[in-house]
Amino acid sequence: MTTDLVTQHSFASPRTLDTATAEPSGYVFEAAGLEKKYDDGRVHALRGVTFTVTQGEFVTITGPSGCGKTTLLQMLGALDRPTAGSLLYRGNSIPDLRDPSIYRAHEIGFIFQAFHLLPTFTALENVQIPMFESDLSISERKNRAVTLLQSVGLGHRLSHFPAKLSGGERQRVAIARSLANNPSVLLADEPTGNLDSENARLILELIVRLHREQNMTLMLVTHDMSIAQRGSRTIQMKDGRIVSDRALTIAAD
Amino acid sequence: MTFFTVIVRGLTRRPVRTGLTLLGIAIGIAAVVALVGISRGFNQSWAAGMKARGTDVVVSNMASSLIPKPFSASVRDRIAHLPHVAATCTLLVDVTSIENAEMMMVSAREWGGFAWKNLKLISGRMPQDPTEPAVVLGRTAAEVLKKKVGDPIQIETRELSVVGIVDGNAWVENGSVILSLPLFQEITGNQGKINIIDIRVTPSTSAKDVELLCDQINRLVPEGRAVVASENISNSEASRMVRAMSWSTSLLAVLVGVLGVMNTMLMNVFERTQEICVLLALGWKRWRIVRMILWESALLGSLGGVVGVLIGAIGVKVLGATPAIRGLLEPDLSTSLLAVSVAIAIAVGVISGLYPAWRSSRLTPSRALRG
Repeated sequence: MTTDLVTQHSFASPRTLDTATAEPSGYVFEAAGLEKKYDDGRVHALRGVTFTVTQGEFVTITGPSGCGKTTLLQMLGALDRPTAGSLLYRGNSIPDLRDPSIYRAHEIGFIFQAFHLLPTFTALENVQIPMFESDLSISERKNRAVTLLQSVGLGHRLSHFPAKLSGGERQRVAIARSLANNPSVLLADEPTGNLDSENARLILELIVRLHREQNMTLMLVTHDMSIAQRGSRTIQMKDGRIVSDRALTIAAD
Repeated sequence: MTFFTVIVRGLTRRPVRTGLTLLGIAIGIAAVVALVGISRGFNQSWAAGMKARGTDVVVSNMASSLIPKPFSASVRDRIAHLPHVAATCTLLVDVTSIENAEMMMVSAREWGGFAWKNLKLISGRMPQDPTEPAVVLGRTAAEVLKKKVGDPIQIETRELSVVGIVDGNAWVENGSVILSLPLFQEITGNQGKINIIDIRVTPSTSAKDVELLCDQINRLVPEGRAVVASENISNSEASRMVRAMSWSTSLLAVLVGVLGVMNTMLMNVFERTQEICVLLALGWKRWRIVRMILWESALLGSLGGVVGVLIGAIGVKVLGATPAIRGLLEPDLSTSLLAVSVAIAIAVGVISGLYPAWRSSRLTPSRALRG
């Protein structure tokens, strides 16, 4: 597989954010006292979550079902707003972004457990979907999508629709799609959760390799402790709280 | 891949549903084309017939029927001497069933009047005197009635003879059975009655003078109403009623189309909720989602419009060729009507897409991570 699909990020400043008043803090993410309540407060998904993430870290977030992992990922990806607390991306308050779509399109790459490929589009077209929010021309979008799919080993599956791809192949397409706009952060929600063990291993290797080669920050939610051990750091959650946050000595291949 | 590709894929994901919705709009638009085209065509055919007869002003009592009410032929005497009146010709016109033709225009004309002059003989001859039991047929009428020169023709209880086939240089004229006024008055028991006075004005008469002449006639003749020939039918109450009915029926059909498209687009949005949330999560702006839904809806409408115009135009042509109404009217399938119909269809699409688009813009991207 080729790997030189994107240039590495300098991350001196976010390219597209519109809360320009922030002072650079050196952190990619800074969460302080993060709270999230649903259903008029009956569900307390996050309770005073505080942490920081630096550039290039591979952070795994683990914990039992309902502990708030996915909710936290939603906050980091500006898919939802916290009820209280502060959450900064490179010094910019995520909840206060005037246009979160710009942040999602250009700073974040999402990888979902259920892949979420669009069924009526080919692999090549699925990868181009996020690029509509970029300045790339039609031919540039196509060329970049081809390069990305080749980099995840799917150069021979360009014109296949998701229904004709295996689970592992679908997740590869989704990974290629997450890299479409050259994001600086990858947010992965149980990326191997719907795969058999062999495909899960291969997908994890791919994500780890991309993270390492492109110096991206990787936040990966998993309930699988063996996967959690692959990060440079693991945050364990329970009942909406962080119960442990520890660096791991080896981010093994 | 272009944004248009995304829009087309949105519609083709459920081809049967999209096709049926498209057909629904198409039927609505076909109704617009057919009904409005026929009502406009009726007016234009009458106007063309009068123009072909060389008529500038028409005196008649259209009231609320499509055929004018009869009045005394003596009314002509009050008009003939007025300034700017060059000639008059009295007529008794009716639409009636003749033999196998359910609706046929019968145009009885004052013997020697100018309304005979535009008729060009194709075969046979003209009637020789006003009492001769003879008719000439417009060429379309001859085809519809399957008559040739020398054939008998039954009008009401009288059997007459077809003595000539004529070209009247207008759809209505060619679709008419033409005979002398006294003969038809006798046949129908309308002795001394007419229902139209055609007036030809002197060559130098200005449009304003024609209007003044109409006003003058209207004061003198309470039995009828004088109008400029081109406006005769379109100003009649019956014509206005037909127009109103054709537009209201068309709008009803269009409304059904709107509901159909809205239902389809709403279903589309509901079914694609997860997908739309994923698009938002991938960084698509809400405005792009709204545009996507509106474009899909507009494309559905415009395709329905094009198909509807085709169905309507073909339907009207087929209808116009049926023996029942052949020769009575020439449907107006002008470019303007077809363009307006397609524009209505596109508007239907856009309007129908507004609510689904608004619904889609309210979705939250966090749903992408659920399920």
